[in-house]
Amino acid sequence: MGLLTEKFDDNVLTTRVDWLLNWARLSSIWPMTFGLACCAIEMMAVGASRFDIDRFGAGAFRATPRQADLMIVAGTVNFKMGERVKRLYDQMPSPKYVIAMGACATGGGPYYKFGYTVMKGVDRIIPVDVYIAGCPPRPEALLEGLMLLQEKIRRQKVLRAPQLEEKPKAPSLV
Amino acid sequence: MEAPKRDTAWGPMEVHFQAAREAHAALQEAGLEVELHQPNLPIFAEEGEAKRLAKKKADEPHEWRGDAFLLLKDRERLLEALSLIREQLAFQQIVDVTAVDFDAEDSVLWGVYQVLSLTKKARLTLKVHLPKDDCRVASAVSVYPGADWHERESGEMYGITYEGHPDPRNILLPDDWVGYPLRKDYEFPEEYHGISCV
Amino acid sequence: MEEPPQTTPPDQHRLREIELDVRTQDVEINMGPQHPATHGVLRVLLRADGEILVGAESHLGYLHRCAEKIGENVDYIQYMPYTDRYDYLSSMNNNLSYSLAVEKLLGVEVPKRGQYLRTILAELNRIASHLVAVGTYGIDIGAFTPFFYALREREFLLDLFEKICGARLTYSYIRPGGVMNDAPAGWLNKVAEFCDIFDQKWPEYWNLLVQNKIFIERTANVGVMPAQTAIDWGCTGPMLRGSGVDWDLRRDQPYLVYDQLDFKVIVGEGYRGTLGDCFDRNFVRMYEMLESIKMVRQCLAAIEEGEVSHPDVSLTIRPAPGEAYVGIENPRGELGHYVVSDGTKIAKRMRCRAPSFVNLSVVEHTLPGCMLADAAAIIGATDIVIGETDR
Repeated sequence: MGLLTEKFDDNVLTTRVDWLLNWARLSSIWPMTFGLACCAIEMMAVGASRFDIDRFGAGAFRATPRQADLMIVAGTVNFKMGERVKRLYDQMPSPKYVIAMGACATGGGPYYKFGYTVMKGVDRIIPVDVYIAGCPPRPEALLEGLMLLQEKIRRQKVLRAPQLEEKPKAPSLV
Repeated sequence: MEAPKRDTAWGPMEVHFQAAREAHAALQEAGLEVELHQPNLPIFAEEGEAKRLAKKKADEPHEWRGDAFLLLKDRERLLEALSLIREQLAFQQIVDVTAVDFDAEDSVLWGVYQVLSLTKKARLTLKVHLPKDDCRVASAVSVYPGADWHERESGEMYGITYEGHPDPRNILLPDDWVGYPLRKDYEFPEEYHGISCV
Repeated sequence: MEEPPQTTPPDQHRLREIELDVRTQDVEINMGPQHPATHGVLRVLLRADGEILVGAESHLGYLHRCAEKIGENVDYIQYMPYTDRYDYLSSMNNNLSYSLAVEKLLGVEVPKRGQYLRTILAELNRIASHLVAVGTYGIDIGAFTPFFYALREREFLLDLFEKICGARLTYSYIRPGGVMNDAPAGWLNKVAEFCDIFDQKWPEYWNLLVQNKIFIERTANVGVMPAQTAIDWGCTGPMLRGSGVDWDLRRDQPYLVYDQLDFKVIVGEGYRGTLGDCFDRNFVRMYEMLESIKMVRQCLAAIEEGEVSHPDVSLTIRPAPGEAYVGIENPRGELGHYVVSDGTKIAKRMRCRAPSFVNLSVVEHTLPGCMLADAAAIIGATDIVIGETDR
């Protein structure tokens, strides 16, 4: 910003209200501190210095669902935990987003066949916005998932009524 | 005490065989009926044996390799045997309590107790057979407090009742789980609380 | 050595008089399963009388993934990736314990170079794991910055692992019969480089975190566990050594090439408080990292050219019938695999004796009598990995 500082007179910026609201939302997604399994370690790595999720405005990990916008389901969800995941999701204020990180959260992963307590995908209990493949996904993949989510938020309609003839969106897959 | 000699890349063997023989003698002396099982095959395979084993037919008879263990005949006397192992033979620490369901056809489960001596630097495995239709055994918690969670776990996984356990609830599975997952005849659930399992 | 600072002994908290005419009631506090200080999805139900804990109960199973059942349904090589996911902070050690158990049943010994490579990787992984343990412990008790320092060096290590096997976290590199492939050209030099860097960085953690006055106040004399309790409850690893018991499987049950290496077993000594407190456990972890560096250096000096895998072991593994238990020293304690085979391609029992599971079982007996805020400090010092406690 150094180039722009103190270079202009009083100014007016014209934009759409939707664009402004979406821009504000997507630039400060606050994720919930919510690690489940192996993927949580990669999520930690994303928060640390090399990958630095703060560059995308999503570095403020909140310990409580009440302050969070994004739930990164990082790891295997089993039935015992599923109830809690559902409850945590319900406690988050709208608008809220979910990233299913890794094969387990996406569809049971390596535990699909013989994992008797493993839920075969977290989308059986809560809606998921972005799925990230990998076991565990690399930190870059999580960052790409976050960027996809930002792309999705950018296209949201906040004030305008949804248009009926709008084409359905392609599912976001990384 | 000196550390035992490294016999193999996976650790010392002779010291454990020695401990099993000693424990066998001591338990028999105390009037407990115990069988000592020692492997028939040598510790190291001959050259090419692993390759040959990988190709052999399933019904070909085979010898037995691995660890030595003690099999206690009378499960009612388990606590007696364990306290003797702890007090007299100085195996201070319980490493693991688990069970094995070797085959769905078998009429028994194996209860397996792994103990470790910090002074002798040796391990010992004690087994008991538990009939599947009457799956109960005394809890080892009074002798080894560390058996607590292990027993809760194999209790829920195999349906073993550990008599005298202070807190015999499920530990890993939900409280309302049906069935004993690690039994060989376990049927995988269709759904749990309305969520499909397949 | 400077005089250790004075801290309040925990016994004084217990000696509290409640006036008879005031009705009081215990409060139940639910910590977890979603809580930043429980290192995953552990749930601890705390019962507090004011600020003092009078009871604690752990609830596990929020990450039960049925790995033991899977082990009885897939063959020996297919089971490899599941061992990675037990203790995901030290996958190399899990691979190692499993591979050694299968090799014991097979009766094959890995060539010397393979053994040295395994030792180097197991020790490097121990450093990576301890870095996370100490770093996140800082977060637990309120120091956020050391975590970033710790993960900086860990990334260097993960690059080394990635170079040798292609994965950052779940390696499956150490396999029954040997290792996946030989180290790529120049890799061993990189490891030597890391050792030099780490020697310089270690004092940073020591000065920044462990010698910090707040850290000492929060950990010294907190969660004291006497040696006898640790032995009775089956604790292993830094939990046992932090209580002053001189026991390390690398020395006392020598496997791989540890009998040829010269290293010291670090035992807690009550440096800042009582023997067996949270400080001592971290003290053990900190110094173990330096010992690991020493061992890696010795391995680098001794490693020779040669085969890394046993030629007899292929992808189809059908060990002789029998049973084998191999316990190795994982960063958290004794990690054992108990494999029962009947001579077919699929094991009859695949038991994992997880150190975190056992170490955690003693925590609910340590917590009563402590302050509520110390619960995070005590659980954090146990250094549990939920993937392993729940399996």
